[in-house]
Amino acid sequence: MASAMTAPGSVLKRKDSMASAPVREGDQLIVTPLGAGNEVGRSCVYMSYRGKTVLFDCGIHPAYSGMAALPYFDEIDPSTIDVLLVTHFHLDHAASLPYFLEKTTFKGRVFMTHATKAIYKLLLSDYVKVSKVSVEDMLYDEQDILRSMDKIEVIDFHQTLEVNGIRFWCYTAGHVLGAAMFMVDIAGVRILYTGDYSREEDRHLRAAEIPQFSPDICIIESTYGVQLHQPRVIREKRFTDVIHSTISQGGRVLIPAFALGRAQELLLILDEYWSNHPELHNIPIYYASPLAKRCMAVYQTYINAMNERIRNQFANSNPFDFKYISPLKSIENFDDIGPSVVMASPSGLQSGLSRQLFDKWCSDKKNACVIPGYVVEGTLAKTIINEPKEVTLMNGLTAPLNMQVYYISFSAHADFAQTSAFLNELMPPNIILVHGEANEMGRLKQKLITQFSDQNTKILSPKNCQSVEMYFTSEKMAKTIGRLADKTPQVGETVSGLLVKKGFTYQIMAPDDLHVFSQLSTANITQRISIPYSGAFSVIKHRLKQIYESVEPPIEDPDVPTLIVHDRVTIRQESENYLTMRWSSDPIGDMVSDSVVAVILNISREGPKVTAVAEVEKTQEETAKMAHKVVYSLLVSLFGDVKVVEEGKLIVTVDGNVARLDEKNGEVECDNDSLKERVKTAFHRIQSAVRPIPLSAA
Amino acid sequence: MGTSVQMTPLCGVYSENPLCYLLSIDGFNFLMDCGWNDLFDPNLLQPLSRVSSKVDAVLLSHPDILHLGALPYAMKHLGLTAPVYATEPVYRLGLLTMYDHYLSRRECSDFDLFSLDDIDAVFQNVTRLTYSQNYHLTDKGEGIVIAPHVAGHLLGGTVWKITKDGEDVIYAVDFNHRKERHLNGTVLESFVRPAVLITDAFNALNNQLYKRQRDQEFIDAILKALNADGNVLLPVDTAGRALELILILEHYWSQQHLSFPIYFLTNVATSTIDYVKSFLEWMSDSIAKSFEHTRDNAFLLRHVNLIINRDEFEKTAEIPKVVLASMDSLEVGFSHDIFVEWATDARNLVLFTQKGQFGTLARMLQVDPPPKAVKVTLSKRVPLVGDELIAYEEEQNRIKKEAALKASLSREEELKASHGSDTNAPDPMEVDASTSYVSSGSGLRSAGHLDVFIDGFTPSTSVFPMFPFFETTAEWDDYGEVINPDDYIIKEEDRDQASMQILHGDLDIKIEEGSARLLLDLTPSKVASTELTVQVKCGLTYMDFEGRSDGRSVKSIIAHVAPLKLVLVHGSAEATEHLKQHCAKHVCPHVYAPQIEETIDVTSDLCAYKVQLSERLMIDCMCTDIGDYEIAWVDGEVGKTDDMLTLLPLPSAPLPHKSVLIGDLKLADFKQFLASQGVQVEFAAGALRCGEHITLRKISDASQKGGSGPQQILIEGPLTEEYYKIRKYLYSQFYLL
Repeated sequence: MASAMTAPGSVLKRKDSMASAPVREGDQLIVTPLGAGNEVGRSCVYMSYRGKTVLFDCGIHPAYSGMAALPYFDEIDPSTIDVLLVTHFHLDHAASLPYFLEKTTFKGRVFMTHATKAIYKLLLSDYVKVSKVSVEDMLYDEQDILRSMDKIEVIDFHQTLEVNGIRFWCYTAGHVLGAAMFMVDIAGVRILYTGDYSREEDRHLRAAEIPQFSPDICIIESTYGVQLHQPRVIREKRFTDVIHSTISQGGRVLIPAFALGRAQELLLILDEYWSNHPELHNIPIYYASPLAKRCMAVYQTYINAMNERIRNQFANSNPFDFKYISPLKSIENFDDIGPSVVMASPSGLQSGLSRQLFDKWCSDKKNACVIPGYVVEGTLAKTIINEPKEVTLMNGLTAPLNMQVYYISFSAHADFAQTSAFLNELMPPNIILVHGEANEMGRLKQKLITQFSDQNTKILSPKNCQSVEMYFTSEKMAKTIGRLADKTPQVGETVSGLLVKKGFTYQIMAPDDLHVFSQLSTANITQRISIPYSGAFSVIKHRLKQIYESVEPPIEDPDVPTLIVHDRVTIRQESENYLTMRWSSDPIGDMVSDSVVAVILNISREGPKVTAVAEVEKTQEETAKMAHKVVYSLLVSLFGDVKVVEEGKLIVTVDGNVARLDEKNGEVECDNDSLKERVKTAFHRIQSAVRPIPLSAA
Repeated sequence: MGTSVQMTPLCGVYSENPLCYLLSIDGFNFLMDCGWNDLFDPNLLQPLSRVSSKVDAVLLSHPDILHLGALPYAMKHLGLTAPVYATEPVYRLGLLTMYDHYLSRRECSDFDLFSLDDIDAVFQNVTRLTYSQNYHLTDKGEGIVIAPHVAGHLLGGTVWKITKDGEDVIYAVDFNHRKERHLNGTVLESFVRPAVLITDAFNALNNQLYKRQRDQEFIDAILKALNADGNVLLPVDTAGRALELILILEHYWSQQHLSFPIYFLTNVATSTIDYVKSFLEWMSDSIAKSFEHTRDNAFLLRHVNLIINRDEFEKTAEIPKVVLASMDSLEVGFSHDIFVEWATDARNLVLFTQKGQFGTLARMLQVDPPPKAVKVTLSKRVPLVGDELIAYEEEQNRIKKEAALKASLSREEELKASHGSDTNAPDPMEVDASTSYVSSGSGLRSAGHLDVFIDGFTPSTSVFPMFPFFETTAEWDDYGEVINPDDYIIKEEDRDQASMQILHGDLDIKIEEGSARLLLDLTPSKVASTELTVQVKCGLTYMDFEGRSDGRSVKSIIAHVAPLKLVLVHGSAEATEHLKQHCAKHVCPHVYAPQIEETIDVTSDLCAYKVQLSERLMIDCMCTDIGDYEIAWVDGEVGKTDDMLTLLPLPSAPLPHKSVLIGDLKLADFKQFLASQGVQVEFAAGALRCGEHITLRKISDASQKGGSGPQQILIEGPLTEEYYKIRKYLYSQFYLL
């Protein structure tokens, strides 16, 4: 196995890469991030091996809009992709899917988990409504989303599916409801794509599973690089403390959070905290997302994708039926009097309700803004983490930033401890880092290289569109079954049979067993044609004997005159007027039959001219004489001066050089080597032309 | 060379008895299903008791009594300890089914074969899998992969595929190829040529109506009875086919804006529907789709009311109604009681949707013509009164004192010991001195029941007991309230007017006392029985809503799957024999239908060995694409590298081989093809007449798929140009190697 990284900017288009790597093309495995390479956002990783192509995720970059937000789809030919696997519903993993399905030549199959699919639709419809871009910049509309829904197929955790020989299944990833890690198996080479994952169990989600098989390649997220999370309990305490103290000082708390996923976890925390603190009951918590309300049914239904804790709670009452949290439709319905806690989307404060509230509250130092998760580069949320003095409001004016800004991460991504433990457990020989900001990723890479220094582990962090090429010499194993396998052969014996390949499994079997072990069946075609012929049967026999070595009557006595030619074609004289010819279809049989037909037709046509009956009984001697004559005349035409010395001996004289040829064994005596060779070759050719074809092929 | 496979039926062959089979694969013993009947007859489990300790794993296929009923008993009394594998719905609905049966039995007898705790214990032992999950067994079963696949019939229903060394053993009983309202059809047909297929002959002799016609007749029958002022009773199972019926009723009720009330009455109705709502991923595509698009959960019922005890049902209005009540056997449970009550009125209808189990009341009523009168035993749990109560209370006090003594002793011990490993917390009964909830040696255990009704049937995953906390549960208020006895006095009179002959026992027993309430109250009680003969005047109908593939489909599915060996189980003797004959003739020569405890060896006589294909050999291989397959002819010389056989290219040119034609010619398709090529073509006397003179026929018996070898095709005609043209077309249908 070897791996190499092509120079940045090298062209990736399939046909080109084929041309550049003619050797071992089949064994080459290519992984190319089309997005999320050294960045966070627009996750999309292309993978191809043995002519099978898989695309993982299909997201957009939240910091850009329009076409600029898409992954680099123009680097690939969408029509060649067999399977597209979407890990979870977040926009940076799923939001370019409608575009990819509806606006490109993609014609493969798409899979995601049940919960992901249910939320995907709600989330993207919302995204289309909320994103305020011009019509030209719209990547797709509501209709495209609905149409894409029909093309998306669902997969359950651990369920193994196979498409075109690509086998894949998924594991719980922990990140959000329905989040999955995909394991793909192509011809025995396994690739694990983690998507976003978390190894920590929280209030409602399970921790990511450790796959029971170690993959050959692990494509892993590196969002948090080498950072370490505080324990969950401490983070929760900080979170509730910040909110509690802000409120008790009469401030307002803004939590810009993504509508779905982590928000549900925060709401569970808040609801529980409120129910434990009666003094807070008069402080309203608003959840400004109609989307979340609509998604509640999904959260209630896919309870089986969550952890035991929440399932046990579900038995009593629905834990997502919040007591102290009320929905907020829009800023117009918001009665901003006194302290309150508002959770609003989007998480990056780009636009929408969270931004409106931010603009309203940012200059008051009593207020607080709690950023509860990872924020993408280029968004306002990222900017305010560094606590600048001033911020630009949506209307273009600047305002002082007086409100408190806290960054308490609840985003369920793995931290360094989890990543390192996860990889330690799996021990993949190749690790490809994606979904991480370049510096963060670089640090992680260094640290992992140190960690795995004593193993032969390759750690790569390709940029967008930069291909990673690896070679897997796969050993093709075939199973010989059925009659062919009655006994295991010894070294040196030959095995002949049908090699049947389905997907990536090979079987060798006898043709007769084909229908037993596959859905295919074999056939024998027997042909029987009747030929008008009224001449004597013996004439046919004579003529055929001139052509074929084996023209025999059948072993048992037939009722009518019968001949078997070349062991294949049976000719019967059914009546005075016609013959029938019967044989079993195969190329040689067809050829023989054609020549027999030609002979018979010729006899019929030349009818009266058949006078050479006397010649029929040619003796061996005569044949030899004839052959001798032919050889002589041909040699004369080639070399000119040829003399017959004695029986079977010829002397060829060319430019004074003399060669003696023995006609019986083809040996040549000559002083001149070149003449010797020429005569020898010529004689061999003549011989093979004159002598009849041996019957060995039968 | 092949994997050794033995199979021993333990119950349920040549009969419709519950299913239970021992399947041994290379010495690893699977127990395929562990069923019992509605009568809980321990005699049926005799064969199981002899092998139960040898079992290494139990695989369950459906969440009903016939497939998993005996598990608690077998685990408790027969020494079955193996891990159990099932899908999530089979686990959950199976648990609810067992609860329902237990509660119904408790209601009318001192049922003591197993307890609710035993049920919980068993189901804690279940490993839950999803469809098409390849689960690799470890230790003794190393190398064996089990995978559940969609079976149809019941929610979560499973066709088990057990794979070892590339050989598949498929266990498919009670499958349904038809897509239903709530379930997808089975994927059994996607398995081709398994080494062994174990399937049932249950429906081999039955054929079904078309679904739409059947649904219409079903609704018509119900509406006819309702419009004539009668009630309709549908005896159903707890959480199986009932779901499909509920959806059918829901659909028609909302389509036709009907107002007749529908009740779903089992001991666990609310929990069942709650859980079913969260099993959408296991249901049909259309249900999943409608949820994805509109977030409309099909089991958010608008017309069907869920009732979990008798009292509540008694309170429902006296108008024509449809009641789906468990059990489907009519032996015990709500359906039994309601039947007794309604059977005497000719306006009422009892509509069976499943064939009753052998020897049950339901089966008796399904014979043609139905019996005029049936004898039933009406048993009720009644509170103790008078002397009995006093005696009981004395006994109670004695036990309580002993328990308290023990508890204080153990508490002292605990204090002495460190507080570290406190997994065996004190018995729940003594957490508080509150007497009213204390249970006794009479067999009624508070913890079990309260778990059931308060915690929504979650088997407690830990062993920490929690004292029941009544105030917080809304459900408690729903059915725990005191009932106005006047309601029942009127009912009693009604019943007297109905011509019911009481043979034994006294009339004073108030049989309709809410028994579930008794179970909760845990008032000291006993079972009182009366035997009576009920005149069956109500309408009795049977319609097949069993959700199993019918005989014709079963045959064609088996033929399509074309196993190398076939084992038939579960079905009446005639059905088994019929299917055996049929399959031996049309599917494969190796058809087995073993008797109980007869071990058959279905090890495949397949020979196989593995070779490595060398790179050099593969370069020269010319592969032909044929559908999913790629096929090539190989000639190789066997070599050896690192103990592995390797196939190398031959040093010299190979001898020519007999050419192979691959393809499956269907004369009808070929006819169309020829017609499209402008050739005049027609069928005549079993042969295809092409053009003027050419005839084409298949010689061998084409219907015998699998067994016979290559197809034989004969093409004949005079020597003409046409002949060669037709031959060319014929060749185009095949691949030549």
